[in-house]
Amino acid sequence: MVVTLASTIPWDLRRRGLKDSIRHDRRIKEALKQNLKDLIAEEAIITSDGKKLVKIPIKYLDQYRFRFGDDRRREGVGQGPGQVGDVIASDPGDGPPDGMAGDQPGQEVYEAEVSLDDLTSMMLEDFALPWLEQKEQELVKTTSYRFDDLRKQGQLSNLDKRRTLVENLRRNAVTGNPRVGSISTDDLRYKVWKEHKELHSNCAVYLLMDRSGSMTTEKKYMAKSFFFWLVRFLQLKYQHVEMVFIAHDTEAKVVPEQNFFTISNSGGTKCSSAYELALDHIRKHHPKARWNSYVFHFSDGDNYSDDNEACKKLILELLEETQMVGYGEISEADDRIYGRDGRMLYGGYRMSTLHQELSALDNPRFVTVMIHQKEDVYRGLQEFLKTRPEVAV
Amino acid sequence: MTPAEARDLETRFEDIRRLSRDEGLDFFDTHFEIVPMDVMHEIAAYGLPTRAQHWSYGKVYNHQKIHGEMGLSRIYEIVLNNDPCYAFLLDTNSDVANLLVAAHVFGHCDFFKNNECFHGSNRNMVNEAVDHAIRIDKYIDKEGLDAVEHVMDIGFALDRHIDPKLGHSRKPYPRREVVERIVHEDDYADLFGEEKLSVERRVLGDKIPPHPERDLLWFLANYAHIEPWEKDVLEIIRKESYYFYPQFETKIMNEGWASYWHAYTMEHYPDLSPSETIDFAHLHAGVVHPGGRFQLNPYYLGYKLLVDIERRWDKMHEAGESTVTGREKLFEVRQSDNDASFISNYLTEDLAVEMKLMTYGYSDPDDSDDGDIEIKSRELDRIVKSLIASKLNYGVPKIVVSEVAGDRLYLEHVRGDLGPLDAHYAQKTLEYIHDLWKGPVELATWQDGRTVKLSIGPHGFESKTVEA
Repeated sequence: MVVTLASTIPWDLRRRGLKDSIRHDRRIKEALKQNLKDLIAEEAIITSDGKKLVKIPIKYLDQYRFRFGDDRRREGVGQGPGQVGDVIASDPGDGPPDGMAGDQPGQEVYEAEVSLDDLTSMMLEDFALPWLEQKEQELVKTTSYRFDDLRKQGQLSNLDKRRTLVENLRRNAVTGNPRVGSISTDDLRYKVWKEHKELHSNCAVYLLMDRSGSMTTEKKYMAKSFFFWLVRFLQLKYQHVEMVFIAHDTEAKVVPEQNFFTISNSGGTKCSSAYELALDHIRKHHPKARWNSYVFHFSDGDNYSDDNEACKKLILELLEETQMVGYGEISEADDRIYGRDGRMLYGGYRMSTLHQELSALDNPRFVTVMIHQKEDVYRGLQEFLKTRPEVAV
Repeated sequence: MTPAEARDLETRFEDIRRLSRDEGLDFFDTHFEIVPMDVMHEIAAYGLPTRAQHWSYGKVYNHQKIHGEMGLSRIYEIVLNNDPCYAFLLDTNSDVANLLVAAHVFGHCDFFKNNECFHGSNRNMVNEAVDHAIRIDKYIDKEGLDAVEHVMDIGFALDRHIDPKLGHSRKPYPRREVVERIVHEDDYADLFGEEKLSVERRVLGDKIPPHPERDLLWFLANYAHIEPWEKDVLEIIRKESYYFYPQFETKIMNEGWASYWHAYTMEHYPDLSPSETIDFAHLHAGVVHPGGRFQLNPYYLGYKLLVDIERRWDKMHEAGESTVTGREKLFEVRQSDNDASFISNYLTEDLAVEMKLMTYGYSDPDDSDDGDIEIKSRELDRIVKSLIASKLNYGVPKIVVSEVAGDRLYLEHVRGDLGPLDAHYAQKTLEYIHDLWKGPVELATWQDGRTVKLSIGPHGFESKTVEA
C-alpha cells in the first residue's frame, strides 16, 4: 500500500479538464453561430443595455446516440407512503422526475458568456449599408492601429519573441555556433504599431418607431430587437454615424436613444408626422450633398387611413433626400385574417392599408418588410442591409 | 496535508487494510493518492486520471466544477479497477472521512478482483489510457482537431453498442469459402453397425454479418471504408467502453458491498474516539441515505439488500436450513451476481414493503396534457422489472447490424426492446454511421406497432412508416 500526496505527482502533465472545457465553450459558440436566427430576439441580449458580456442561456451540447424516446408509459421506482393510485406529484411540463426519465439526461442549462461585439459581428458579418456614396465634405475618418513594423527598442510587453529568437539564432550562427541561447539586448525585437486612417462617407440614420396604443409589447419588442441590432451594427462598422431617434403616435418627437427603447404606449397613429419631422431634420442637419441618410420606420400599419396619401407623398420626398427608406410592418398571429372558406388570406397576415399604398411605390430604394415573429427579425435585417447593385440616385 | 500527516495516515490505513483482510476481503495492492478538489473533478469527469482529450469531458468537468463549487455535490473518493488499484482521496477530507473512504475502497477493490463480471477486465487500463491519449494527440497533430473530434463524436455515440458476451478481442468473420464435411446421417447408427456417411457442402462467410451483430463499433471499425487512424480511434473508444462495462453492470452491488464493508470495518476499528464515532455515523448516514421520493440511492439499495441477505441466511443457518452463514452467502453473491440478477434474486416482498418501494408513472399516459403522477404499483415483480430495465444492454436500445447488401448497410432495432427510439437522436446517430459507412444506411425500427424505416443516403434523410 502506498499513500502519495498530490504535490509529488506531476499533475500538470495530466491536466486536460480546463483545455477540454474551453473546447466545449468553443463548440457552444459555433453552435450559437448556427442558431443566430433564434437568438436574435433573445431577451438577455436585447435588454443588456451596453454590458460588454452577455450571458446566453444555452443547453449543454447534446451528444447524440440511440436512446429511447419519451414514453409516458414508462415507470420509475420510488419510495414512501401512499396507496396505489394516489397522485403524488404533478409534472409541471418540464419533464417527469429523473427516475422515470430513463436514459434522458436532464436538460441542464449552461450560461455561455459571449462578448456583445463578437455576437454582433457574427450576426451581422455579411451586412453592409447599401448605396453608401462618397460625399464631398466632412469625410468621416476611421483610425485603426496595426502592429506592422519591428524595432530594436520598445516596451517589453510588445516583444516579438519569434523574431527575437530568429535574431539570436542568426547571431549565434555567424559565430559558427547555430543554436538558441545567451540572448543579448541586441537580439531583442519589438513590435511597433502604425496609425492607419481610413476615410468613410458620412452617414446618418433615422430610426422611426410607432408607439401608438395598437403597438403591443410584443410588437414593440420585435421593433426593438430590430433597432437594437441595427444600432449595434452601425456602431461596429462606422466610428462616426449620427443617429436620430424619432418616436411617434399622432405627433412625432426626436427622443434620446435611451428613451427610444423604453417608450410607452399612448394614443392613435399618424405616420406622416414622423416622416415630416424626419424630412425637416434631414434638410436642416444632414443635407444630401454631404450625408448619406437612411430612414427606417417600424409600425403595425394601424394608421388613420386619410393619412396614407400624405405618407406616400412624404416618402417620395424622403427618397429625394436620402439613400434609402425602409418600412417594416409588424403583425402578430392574432392579426391573421381568414377568408369565407376558413383559409388564411394573404399568407395568413393582413397587409395594412398603409402598407398596401406604400407597396405601390415603385422605387428600388424603398424597401418594405413584414415581420410576424421574432425569427423574422433576422430576415428583416437581411432585407434592409443587403448589399445592393449600383443604382443611379 | 503535510508529509508527516500523510505518513500518519498511511499507518492508520494499514490498520484498516489489516482489518479488511482478516475478514476475508481479497484485493490488489492499493495506491492512495491525495489530490485537490479540481483534480478530483477532473478524474471524475474523465473516468481515468489521463485519458484522450475530447470536448465532452470538458462539458462534464465544467458541470461538476460548478456543482462542486456550489456545494451541491462532493466527491470523497474515486477508485479505479486496476492492478494495482488506484484510489484518489480529496485533500480536504477529515481523518475520519479518510478512514471510512479507505475501508470503502478496499471493499471496491475486493469486488473488482473477485466479481465474475470483472473477470477478464483490463487491469492495466490506467496505463493504457495514457497510451490512448498519446495516440489521439498524435492523430490530432496530423489530421487536425476537427477531423479527430468528429470521429470521436461518432465513436462515443456508439460506444455502448458492444457485445460483452463476445468480448473485446475478436476475429473477423470467416472469409467466403465452401467447406465439405462428412456427416453422420444418424447420430446413433454406428452403435448398431449400420453407419451411413454423407458429404455436406456448406458455404461459409457468404453473408455479412453471419449473425445479427450487436457490436456496432467493432463492425464499423472493421468493415467500413475508413482510414487506419479512424479505425484506431474507434478501437480506442471501444476498448475503454469494454473496460467500463462491468462497472455499469454492477453499480448497485459494488456500492452496496463497499458501503457494507466501510460500515463493518469502522465499527470494529479500535482507535475511534467518541467524537470520531459520531462523525463516522454522520458520514455513513450520508452515504447510504435512501434518496428521494422518485429516485433510490444505489448505495442505499445495495447496502440494504446485502444486510438483508446476511440476516436471512444467518437465520436459516441457525435453523439448520442452510449450510452457509450469512457472511459466507454474501461472499458468494459478490462473486457471481450482477445488478440485474442481484435485484431479481434477492429483493424480497418483505424488504420491498419495509423500504416502502413503489413504481410510479403518469396517471393518464394517453393524455399528454395531464401531468399527474401517481403510485402505480407496490407489486414486487413490477418493482424489480422497473429497477432492472435501465440495467439492460448497457442502458441503450438494442440495435444490430442485420445485413450488408452491396454498399447498403441495414440496421435493425430489435423488436420487444423497452420502447421506441427518440427520433431526432436516431437521425443524428444514423448520420454519424453514414459518415463512416459512406454508402446508404437504413434502420428498421418501430413505433406504435408499425415498422418505421429511417434511411440516409445520397438524397439525405428519410423516415417512412410501413403499414403492417
